Amino acid sequence: MPLTTGLRGGRYNSRAMRSNTENTLPALEAMKIGRLYRSSGRGISEVDLRVERGEVFGLMGPNGSGKSTLLRVLSTAIAPDSGGFRVCGVDGLTEKRKVRASMGLMVDRPTHYDDLTGRANAYFFARAYGMEEAKAEGALAELFDYFDLAEYADDKVKTYSYGMGKKLALIEAMAHGPEVLLLDEPSLGLDYTSQLAYQRRIRDLAGSGVAVLLASNQVDEVESLCDKAAFLHRGKVVAEGTPEDLISRVEGVRRIVATLRNPVEYGSLTEVGGVQRVVPEGRDLIIHCEERPGIVADVVAGIVRSGGDIVNLSVQRPNLEDVFVKLTGEALRDEV
Amino acid sequence: MRFDLPDTYWKKDVALFFSRRFALVLKMLYPIAIIVPVAASGIPGQYAAAVIGIVAIMAGTFGAGETLTSDLNDGILARVALTPLSPRKLVFQILAVNAVLDFIQLSPALLIVYVLNPAPLAWVLAATFSVFATLVAANSIGVFIANFTSSPADVLLYATAMLFPLIYISGFFRNQDPAGVTAVLRDFVPFAYMNDALKTVFGLATEATPLAIILYPTIICAVLVFAVCLTASHLLSPRF
Repeated sequence: MPLTTGLRGGRYNSRAMRSNTENTLPALEAMKIGRLYRSSGRGISEVDLRVERGEVFGLMGPNGSGKSTLLRVLSTAIAPDSGGFRVCGVDGLTEKRKVRASMGLMVDRPTHYDDLTGRANAYFFARAYGMEEAKAEGALAELFDYFDLAEYADDKVKTYSYGMGKKLALIEAMAHGPEVLLLDEPSLGLDYTSQLAYQRRIRDLAGSGVAVLLASNQVDEVESLCDKAAFLHRGKVVAEGTPEDLISRVEGVRRIVATLRNPVEYGSLTEVGGVQRVVPEGRDLIIHCEERPGIVADVVAGIVRSGGDIVNLSVQRPNLEDVFVKLTGEALRDEV
Repeated sequence: MRFDLPDTYWKKDVALFFSRRFALVLKMLYPIAIIVPVAASGIPGQYAAAVIGIVAIMAGTFGAGETLTSDLNDGILARVALTPLSPRKLVFQILAVNAVLDFIQLSPALLIVYVLNPAPLAWVLAATFSVFATLVAANSIGVFIANFTSSPADVLLYATAMLFPLIYISGFFRNQDPAGVTAVLRDFVPFAYMNDALKTVFGLATEATPLAIILYPTIICAVLVFAVCLTASHLLSPRF
């Protein structure tokens, strides 16, 4: 019994579906998408988005800003209340299966069939996307090798670590050669080497024309990987542009990163003149502040007064997180 | 045909069924443990038939419902639904493979029943088919219930609420000689045909014929499966 139930002779081939006309269309185009959850009243509204072929587009925003909701709509998991979207010119509301065939998807909390091996899971999905047996096996062998998972490919997924599960989800998203990749927090939980491998792969895929939309709050990742980025705040796009453009909007802002030997109560730091926000990240305190003479000394004095033992200190240029803070007055990541 | 690398949903389910060895042993043994002592005892045939019927109904309904809700909760089924596979074909595969796997579980016990209670071949075939039809119907009910809840515990509750009246109408324990409306309703419940067939295997006389036992449940199950497959888009959508 063939699994593949595609539209053309029982087989989908997303790359083959392209025509010259389609190549001029954006890979992904969202028009005024709105979707609110009745239970919480949260969601997204009037979201416009355009991702070109070969472009890596970062979607940033704090928890509850609507990133995952937008990805759910674009992946055809849920229907929007209003608006619509197209994937390579194909309507995402009326031609769901065609759209699904052209997309690779990694959800925020990837799950697998735990009692099957990693290879069996990935093979099942590759075939579900219409890959032929030999091609699926070849593509998976290459990807398992690339992501350093070949050694564990025949182990049951229930023995995998969180990071290995994420890598398997990446393999499942990429194996069938999609035209558009939708990735939700793809690098969260990956070790350093795997993050590098993943980023290199994304750049390679973009180089071959694949459009990538990734939702992430890993500021460094978005800055280094994305050609464009957009901020979502309370369900709306509040800014969009290249990372450089976005960062250039923040003038006169600095971030001081203080690594402490031990955690301290840092509430009083916000009373230091010019300090806009203090965000703890592990053993680091990230202090967003205005650029004025003497502010570094004042911040250091404030930390010391709070009982903090500084083991490392750096003053950094603003990044996308600062842009978001400036735009919305809120932090990208949870504050304490 | 490779099950180590499943290329279809049903092969994936078969691979999972055989991958949990301890659970597999239990699944194969519990029908024998319940059915064989009953079949070997001297209790009246209608009660022996009822016990087998209850085991088949419970195995079908709870099996599909619980597995489905568990996969829905886990998010893996919603992920599968985002592939280009047809949702209706997916639900059909879920139903079919669960019914067949449940049937594999019950087969050894049924075989022993037939050895202990020899019956004409036509009735053995009819009874065997009716058990399979019951499993299809029960799995359809399980899948239908999964449309309304994502909690495996709720499946048990809803299934019990749905199955009690159906079991009553089928005449497993009470309502053995239905009349009027209950007699008409009984004709639409596949479990009733299994009950008649098994009673005959246990030596009781019924008005049913082997042809009716095969024909009517086939039609009813086809309608049930079709109806349940129509719920596929809702069933496989993420739950929030």
